[in-house]
Amino acid sequence: MKRKFSPEAIVLVSLLVLFIIITPRVLSGYSMNVVNIALMFAIVAYGISVMLGMGGQLTFAAVSFMGGGAYFMANMCTDRLGINMPTLPALLLTPVVFAGIAFVIGLLLLKLSGTYFTFSTIALVQVTYAFYNNYKPLFGGADGISGIPTLNLFGYKFTSYNTWFYVLIFLVIIVAVIVELIRDSQLGRSLAAIRDNETAALTMGINVYMTKVIAFTIAGALAAFGGALWCMHGRFVGSDMFNYLNAAQFIIMAMLGGVNNTVGIFVGALLVKVLPEILRSLQSYMQLIWGFFIILLMVFMPTGLAGLYEQIKANIKHKLQKKREGAGQ
Amino acid sequence: MKPILRLDGICKNFGGVVAAKDVTFSVLPGEVHGLIGPNGAGKSTLMNIISGIYTADKGSVFLDEKDITQVPPYTRARMGIGRTFQVPRFLQRSNIRDNLLLGTDLGNQMGYLNSFLRKKGTDFDAELQELLEIAKISFDWSNDISGLPFGKLKLLEIVRSMLGHPRVMLVDEPAAGLNNKEIEYAMDLLHLASKKRGIGVLLIEHSMDMIMDICEDIVVLNFGEVIATGGPEAIASNQLVIEAYLGGEQDD
Repeated sequence: MKRKFSPEAIVLVSLLVLFIIITPRVLSGYSMNVVNIALMFAIVAYGISVMLGMGGQLTFAAVSFMGGGAYFMANMCTDRLGINMPTLPALLLTPVVFAGIAFVIGLLLLKLSGTYFTFSTIALVQVTYAFYNNYKPLFGGADGISGIPTLNLFGYKFTSYNTWFYVLIFLVIIVAVIVELIRDSQLGRSLAAIRDNETAALTMGINVYMTKVIAFTIAGALAAFGGALWCMHGRFVGSDMFNYLNAAQFIIMAMLGGVNNTVGIFVGALLVKVLPEILRSLQSYMQLIWGFFIILLMVFMPTGLAGLYEQIKANIKHKLQKKREGAGQ
Repeated sequence: MKPILRLDGICKNFGGVVAAKDVTFSVLPGEVHGLIGPNGAGKSTLMNIISGIYTADKGSVFLDEKDITQVPPYTRARMGIGRTFQVPRFLQRSNIRDNLLLGTDLGNQMGYLNSFLRKKGTDFDAELQELLEIAKISFDWSNDISGLPFGKLKLLEIVRSMLGHPRVMLVDEPAAGLNNKEIEYAMDLLHLASKKRGIGVLLIEHSMDMIMDICEDIVVLNFGEVIATGGPEAIASNQLVIEAYLGGEQDD
């Protein structure tokens, strides 16, 4: 019952290596910024994939925690509240703090199940957005917080987007590996059992409620981590980022790539961030396009690009098998 | 011998419908105990009460003489109440390996963190091989579970339940939808579970051949009430049971 390295894995790793080598050499400035943001968003989207992809729990709360992480970072490192932490410890502290907060909120919200839970996360987004947008002492109100220091890694300051790229891709890979390990552990299987049938999950000894709370905690921690990175990268944090529209954007990212597929999430995040830049002339129609996109996605590709790929692969396999059988006769 | 599972005065109403009325019986370790009755007699409801999906209005459930009436279903599963369903409930979008590991997870009970850190559990490979040989199933582990035919899925669910090392197994209609060969394999599995592993098996089944063949003891339910208990012969010749199945003479 062991897994082997597949040719697929080798191709994927090679593509990733090419991506890491080529991207910062051909891109710079604004376009590099876009890719970097896509990478940070991918970290947030991985959290959604743990909740939605593995556990089947649709949550919009990612932006709440992302905002939380960003404002936490901003307050810890700008001397606004008289605290002046170095960036690295603050960055590492963020997911820990927000895992705790997400755990408590998860305990509360996951008393609701299914659609009711989803609605409660939308409410959470509205509440946090109202706070982020209005409460000046902690969140700077509509002006946001600027002057956030950039990441300082043992004395090396990341001042250009191109150097940031390496940090971000490194972190995305680590998060992706963690998510992949979760998928192939008891937690991943338990979440899958919950997604498919909660009653059956209970009879398999799975504490459905607690398992969902743990998934919510992981998602919250990852979103906060992404937010902390995002505010250091942009040197600014404003409330616009954390409204409902953007919450939906993260769901699209996860769903486009393949909500239960680690590689798919990465591709989805890149596409959602990069496509609007390519289609810049259509910008005023972008929300409309996304809307249609979601509908088409739900109808024809419920498992996203990754699902489409799997389907094509299965079809080819099936055809080859038939051919072989045909040749054998 | 002390019973491994004991129901004491279980009552359950759904609105005005009586699903269980003062049901009392017990299952011994190593015994296959039949639970039969016409459709709607309350058999599946009883299974749900035992596994904790429903809570009884009155009465108690004992596992190994410990009162588990207030224990949540997942804890009951961990304490040793295994279960299969009429229609197998697997992870539809996962491969066979992951589905069976769900059973070994229950057997291991190592917790999420240890599992994440790749702590080694019990070696289930040998056990699994043994079970699969009895069930006469062989396949590629990495294949999708949805590719398996219904009969194999039902057998596989019994196998998965056994991987969780239960002390009591609630088996809901294992023969439904199986061909004769597969029914034989299912009986072999249940035989192994009860006789070699000492698991107490509570078996709901409509196939009387299977019930008569494998059960030591039988409880007959009708409209939520126990109308007869006893060995296969006694049940087969019980007038009340025959009436319940075939419809009795009208009083007036």
